[in-house]
Amino acid sequence: MTSSPQPPVSVVRENARRADAFAPAWPFAKLALWYVASVSLTLLVWQSCIWIFHPAPYIVPTPRATYDVVVSQWSQIWPLALGTFRETIYGYAAGAALGFLLAVAMYKIRVFRSLSYPLIIGSQAIPIIALAPILVLVIGFNIYPTIIVVTWIVFFPVTINTLDGFLNLDPDLLNLTRVLGATRGRRFWFVELPGVVTPLFSGLKIGAAYAVTGAIIGEQAASSGPSLYQFQVAANNQSRTDLVYGITIVMMIIGLLWFAVVTGLDRIFTPWKYRATARRWFRRDKTRNASLTTND
Amino acid sequence: MPSSPLLQISSVSKTFGGVVALDTTSLELAEGSFTSLVGPSGCGKSTLFNIISGLLPPDGGSVSLEGRDVTGTSGHVGYMLQKDLLVPWRTVMGNITLAASLTRRVTAEDRAQAQAQAERYGLGDFLHHYPRTLSGGMRQRVALMRTLATNQSLLLLDEPFGALDAQTRLDMQQWLLEIWADLGKTVVFVTHDVDEALFLSDRVLVMSPRPGRVVADLTVDVARPRTLATLTDPSFIELKRRVLGLLHRENA
Ligand SMILES: Nc1ncnc2c1ncn2[C@@H]1O[C@H](COP(=O)(O)OP(=O)(O)OP(=O)(O)O)[C@@H](O)[C@H]1O
Ligand SMILES: [Mg+2]
Repeated sequence: MTSSPQPPVSVVRENARRADAFAPAWPFAKLALWYVASVSLTLLVWQSCIWIFHPAPYIVPTPRATYDVVVSQWSQIWPLALGTFRETIYGYAAGAALGFLLAVAMYKIRVFRSLSYPLIIGSQAIPIIALAPILVLVIGFNIYPTIIVVTWIVFFPVTINTLDGFLNLDPDLLNLTRVLGATRGRRFWFVELPGVVTPLFSGLKIGAAYAVTGAIIGEQAASSGPSLYQFQVAANNQSRTDLVYGITIVMMIIGLLWFAVVTGLDRIFTPWKYRATARRWFRRDKTRNASLTTND
Repeated sequence: MPSSPLLQISSVSKTFGGVVALDTTSLELAEGSFTSLVGPSGCGKSTLFNIISGLLPPDGGSVSLEGRDVTGTSGHVGYMLQKDLLVPWRTVMGNITLAASLTRRVTAEDRAQAQAQAERYGLGDFLHHYPRTLSGGMRQRVALMRTLATNQSLLLLDEPFGALDAQTRLDMQQWLLEIWADLGKTVVFVTHDVDEALFLSDRVLVMSPRPGRVVADLTVDVARPRTLATLTDPSFIELKRRVLGLLHRENA
């Protein structure tokens, strides 16, 4: 360690820490920049349509008018949007968990796989609009039918993608685990599970994009109190087109936000795709640090 | 033969849907020996390895290791498959200690050993790198270290250096001989390269396809340590001529 000229140990350590801390900041910043760019582009196209076609404001309002009405109605929209967001994430969490557990069970238990596959496909062939009233009949007017609708929509892509991931694991890799004498539990935890993280997140992302739709359908069919959906219907009945547009955009933003959260989680859980080295706090050996410390 | 063989294979065979991948084969390997298996593609080399390692149950016959019958059971040999099979989500360190984490809790000692290995064999600066960032030769070295870390006395290496350039290959061969001498392992090595087989081994088994079987069992009586000069040694060239003759006849 003393043969070649080296910078002081404290500098080495500081640089290493900084590289670790700042490496992930850039991709996030870049991602945010692209979000901003595509939103700007959409607004531009919207405004251009108005400049070119001159639609009546009660058919297509301007982006500016839409923005203004959302701001002025914010105190009303905000709690409702929060409610929709809550339904979305509760349903999403349940759907993600259910979807993942189903995939694991279907992978591990062949009989279960064969039996449940037609049911799972069938579950998605039912129009959600038809399902929601049934749920209300069974459960009543409260938040749960909405959450179940979201769960119903979200679990499907998660199960299908994750199961595909499990079934497409490299058979040679599984053979290797046998050669190494792996126990079933440890093989699952250290090889099979990390091996499906990518398809799992594909399913989770698809689910994230659809989750808000589920929540709004649920609000339409099942909510008793005020909801974002009902607020939009009311605005429509009063011909407040700008507000209808504004609420629609708020719904979209909820979906985008949640998608961004899931994308961020994907990055955190798959560092090997974005980083050259493991994060410092994931490294198990302290020997390297120790040898650095003894040098100064 | 000093004592009873480390590995004894008694009339094992394997057929895949009418194709005889491995005809009835019997084989003994002495402890501490280095044996190479050469033969054209499809002659059953990997099949034989799969049977020894227990991944594939033979149609008949038995495999015993240190006198124990291990036919069809796995976890008792170090087997490096034809692909390097590094898991992308673990660092070099994590890949080397994979065997440990698949069987029990990884100890500080496991990690220290992995680190010592990596440092000794030129991967010290890459301990925390993901495999994505490694070159082909580095990946092969990690795969071999992972195989060594199982602490098994018998190592089956299926074309470990197949994908490497000539220079790296030579380095890797030297490195493997070093390890073999250091650790006193018993090695079986599959290759398509006759020079490589002869350069490394005490013994070379030549195989032929359809049905896959061992057609010749040659002893390489060339002094160790072997150097570049060995490659032009008359007895070495004579052996090479014989092996090439056997392979060529089988192909014709
Ligand atoms: N799982 C399998 N199912 C059907 N046939 C197989 C299977 N595994 C191997 N074979 C056949 O058995 C024969 C021997 O295959 P094996 O993989 O042992 O050859 P090899 O000597 O290792 O070839 P290579 O040098 O190309 O790796 C081949 O004809 C192959 O097609
Ligand atoms: Mg092979």
